Amino acid sequence: MKIFQVALGILAAIGGFVDIGDLVFNVSAGATFGYQLLWVIVIGVVGIIVYSEMCGRVAAVSGKAVFDAVRERLGFKVGLVALISAQVVNLMTLTAEIGGVAICLQLLSGLSYRWMIFVAGVVFAIVVWVTPFDWIERVFGYGGLCMLVFAVAAVKLHPSWGAVAHGFVPHMNTQSPLLYAYFAVGLLGAAMTPYEVYFYSSGGVEERWGPKDLGLNRVNAQIGYGLGGLLSFSLMIVGGALFLDKGVQPEFLGSIALGVEVPLGQIGLLLALVGILFAVGGASIDTLFSGAYNLAQFLGWEWGRYRHPRGAPRFTATWIVLLVLALGAVMTGVDPVQLTEYAVIFSAVALPLTYIPIFLVANDRAYMREYTNGRLGNVLGLVYLVVIMLIALTAVPLMILTNVGQN
Amino acid sequence: MVGRMVETESGRRIGRCRDMRAISGGGSLKVTQLVVGRRGRLEHFGIGTPRAQTPDAVPWESVVRIEGSRIVVRDGTELV
Amino acid sequence: MTDSVDLGLNVFDHQLLDSEGRRCGKVDDLALEGGPGEELEVVAILCGPGVWRGRAGVLGRIAAWLGGGGRVRVPWSEVAEIRSHVKLGRRAEELGLGRGDDRLRPYIEKIPGSDH
Repeated sequence: MKIFQVALGILAAIGGFVDIGDLVFNVSAGATFGYQLLWVIVIGVVGIIVYSEMCGRVAAVSGKAVFDAVRERLGFKVGLVALISAQVVNLMTLTAEIGGVAICLQLLSGLSYRWMIFVAGVVFAIVVWVTPFDWIERVFGYGGLCMLVFAVAAVKLHPSWGAVAHGFVPHMNTQSPLLYAYFAVGLLGAAMTPYEVYFYSSGGVEERWGPKDLGLNRVNAQIGYGLGGLLSFSLMIVGGALFLDKGVQPEFLGSIALGVEVPLGQIGLLLALVGILFAVGGASIDTLFSGAYNLAQFLGWEWGRYRHPRGAPRFTATWIVLLVLALGAVMTGVDPVQLTEYAVIFSAVALPLTYIPIFLVANDRAYMREYTNGRLGNVLGLVYLVVIMLIALTAVPLMILTNVGQN
Repeated sequence: MVGRMVETESGRRIGRCRDMRAISGGGSLKVTQLVVGRRGRLEHFGIGTPRAQTPDAVPWESVVRIEGSRIVVRDGTELV
Repeated sequence: MTDSVDLGLNVFDHQLLDSEGRRCGKVDDLALEGGPGEELEVVAILCGPGVWRGRAGVLGRIAAWLGGGGRVRVPWSEVAEIRSHVKLGRRAEELGLGRGDDRLRPYIEKIPGSDH
């Protein structure tokens, strides 16, 4: 029974792994550099595994979620900067994701984009208000499994497997090293999205995880995200196999989905759209709640879905306000795919501010008792601290130098 | 208090004040020591186990006055 | 309860829980009385947007203004224990804490399903 539960959790994690940032960056990277950046995905997947396992362990042992740790470890002043930057990035991400959902709805239904934004907003609000949370996560997680169609497509496109294998070896074969670096940073930023760990750690505190759940936490993180990484590979391979030689940049979600139609026909297209709809939709809900979790945790408000709206009024009001703001932003006609690039880059810049406190708390014996980072944990943790600082420092310069990847 | 340099009256620097240690009892919380110096900072960031034996603080009673950015303690004060 | 506690490490910015385990703010600041040559005692916990003003420069002032500038003083005698959070001995309402939630609750309750 327990194994069954774990398996279901993993399936939901796979389906929920891809969000709009992964979609945009993985396919674009494939379209621009073929399979050369596959090795970066590996680094990103291991990174999110390390990050989320630490956050999960901190939540399980200390009962604290990310922004509790941020405030306690960085203090009010620096913590406030971390909070504000996290919220700004969150709102950008949420806007891009809701836009992505609206695009999918438009493509599936043929109805107008503006109306689909409204529909998306209303459906989210009702679903979140009424549906028990484990149902939400399951439904969106399993629906997101339709994204596996990209894996099938990747195989059916008969890419040069030698070139694919070569992509896992770090190498650069291009006239545009800056653009290569920009995509590398974007891929890492898209893989290590912080809102996912805010959501994950808050969920862990809500579920009252304890030390006995640590094994589950580790398995969830490793297998779920590991397999989710296969989807990222598939996206890049599809991008490379279909768009590289044509010099086409898949600027629209529709083009990405159409990419699946080539090898798999109409069924493939439908599954791709449904998969994207659920994966990005699920990500929207995670992002929405992360914004509310962060603010409530930083300021000490009562928070949590299990408290029910009346038990946590300010927390509830926060996610309602965030949803309305994001809907308004999408209505202004901003291009979700363009916005996604900015959201991912800024997310990479803000990442150290939430990674560092978690890394410190994970080593703090007073919080973690005997469950502090082991030697391997600290080696990995430090390696990724360096990686995260690197991408945080280079993200904006690269974005400017490559004109947001247009070069 | 925190962040100021702790010096003796004759000008010897002991370290920077990182925190305040207090004892609670009977519904009140009284400051007993100022945590000073490098170990205090590491502890604040959660690295290493705080060990009671390692001297890292000066007693509050040793503080003579606070002026500007300095905390002045009596000559002869050592970390305890 | 005669253990020593490091204020910055164990008290500042930690979660306040009332006697029923309800989250009701963070320790935004501490009020100390005394000085060199006499006892230095923590007499109260200070809580609320008005307290942020002094703690974060310009950002703190903006945040304080956005939050409405209220402040609550909780005498230290109300503290029951200090663990990974600061536990108070009475309910939040009695201490003037959690008022933001209490003020907002009637509106949230108007929406059907709010206790769901």
